[in-house]
Amino acid sequence: MILETANLSKRYGSILAADKITLQIEEGSAFGLLGPNGSGKTTTLGMVMSVLKPDSGWYKWFDSEPNSPVYKQIGCLLEVPNFFPYLSLKKNLEIIVRIREVEMSDINRVLDETGLINRKNSRFDTLSLGMKQRMAIAATLLGNPGVLVLDEPANGLDPEGIAEVRSLILRQRERGKTIIMASHILDEVEKVCTHVAVLKKGTVIASGEVDKLLQMDDVIIVSTDKPEILKAELESRVLVKSVIINGNSLEIIPAGGVDSAAINKLAYEKGIVLTELRIKKSTLEDQFLQLIK
Amino acid sequence: MLRLIKIEWAKVSSYNLFRVILIMTGSLFLLVLFVLSRIDISVPGFSTRNIVRFPNIWQSFVWVASWFNVLLAILVIVLTGNEFASKTFRQQVMSGLSRNEWLAGKGILIVGLALFGLILIILAALIYGVIFTRDMTLGLIFENSSILFVYFLQSIGYMVLGLLFITVLRSNALGIILYLLYFIFIEPITRLLCPVEVRGWFPVKIISHLTPIPEFLQLASQNGNLQTDNFSFESMGLIAKQLSQTVTLAMAVFYVILFSFLTWLVVRKKDL
Repeated sequence: MILETANLSKRYGSILAADKITLQIEEGSAFGLLGPNGSGKTTTLGMVMSVLKPDSGWYKWFDSEPNSPVYKQIGCLLEVPNFFPYLSLKKNLEIIVRIREVEMSDINRVLDETGLINRKNSRFDTLSLGMKQRMAIAATLLGNPGVLVLDEPANGLDPEGIAEVRSLILRQRERGKTIIMASHILDEVEKVCTHVAVLKKGTVIASGEVDKLLQMDDVIIVSTDKPEILKAELESRVLVKSVIINGNSLEIIPAGGVDSAAINKLAYEKGIVLTELRIKKSTLEDQFLQLIK
Repeated sequence: MLRLIKIEWAKVSSYNLFRVILIMTGSLFLLVLFVLSRIDISVPGFSTRNIVRFPNIWQSFVWVASWFNVLLAILVIVLTGNEFASKTFRQQVMSGLSRNEWLAGKGILIVGLALFGLILIILAALIYGVIFTRDMTLGLIFENSSILFVYFLQSIGYMVLGLLFITVLRSNALGIILYLLYFIFIEPITRLLCPVEVRGWFPVKIISHLTPIPEFLQLASQNGNLQTDNFSFESMGLIAKQLSQTVTLAMAVFYVILFSFLTWLVVRKKDL
């Protein structure tokens, strides 16, 4: 196991930022932490990277207690890039190289890989936001670590930059590295990750393989003058996975084997008049929104 | 150790403020020494030039250098505060530097800055001493030079206290302001409110008293070893009675250890 956490919790005053986070991440997998802003993704990564002290719970890297040599095998970008603004990219990376005790020649390799080789003597504070982000990714690659922890790696990038970063991460995945990536962008997680844990208000509300967890269900849209009654009937008969009322409309994700005809029949039997009944293809985004609602 | 020195050097060597403060410290120190060396009041049995002659020169130069220790402490505050502000401390921990190693790096920085001050004093004292002293012997040159160790300890004391302030406060502005306020108002006022017998035991009092104001009148006397207390500021009632030098030294070492330990606790416990 690359990373294992059990009941990791962290509170900031009255706010419970992470509540009993339990994860298991296997070698070679690309694991996404997916959730809206404030769901506890960064806090969770901060705790496992030893920069935040958990209030309770524990975590292990490579099946052993975390210590600083362990972190030399992990490349991490947490929140925004953190470098000395007055130093050049090369000098900043030299500091990381000395910390990790790897070869100085690696600096050129990672700058080349992230397209920053021509700016290696530029001061960090003269870079654009996108370049800073790429610089942070370059730092994570120093020493060719087996694990990459990336918190919102596409943050601040333009569409072209996002595509570049994505292909860079995918290249690392193809090389057998374990990727742990936090993002609030479903599309990013779906394109990069094999596994995902969905976080909401500091709690893991779902986890598993991306394909299974975010499978595309159809959504049945129904309009009626008695939405509350219909919702109660559907839920009492376990005909649905979830129902959301939106005015007089209901967005229904049916349970397995249930189709629109079954819902129409139920409404007829209960004397509920349907003014609309249609099927909408669900997107991954719909599934994600269903999960976090 | 060498690795930590290289890391710390990489951080500070290209930082303009670091260079500016070091150059400013050195320049101001040399300027004061130049002015001091130009004062030439001589009457039979008394010469101000004795202040810049061996062996008195060590005491007078160390005292002048001690004025600039606060500048070095402010430099430590700024360099460390920057690491909190730009979250580079956090980045280094994520990259595999332990919190203890980071703190050891700051220790190296402090010792390095104290050595800078020490070397500056030694070079200046040797140059001025050789220029102004007649009938030099090796014994005369190095007599009283043990005060250099005391300066070194004092310098470290000021900087370690600065390090404690900034690790607790994590803001350069707040760190510098409160550090200076502590020196100028907070501790002096607290001392005044305390019983007389306790006043001499406060940290800044102890650390600053390591290099007390030299008794210039005594130093300037013809043979430089006037044995009377008549010229002592203490006997004149100009300064309060102080603890003995040995007790002061022991207490200074105790405070340096205490501040270092408290800093270590804060660094170890706090989120980054």
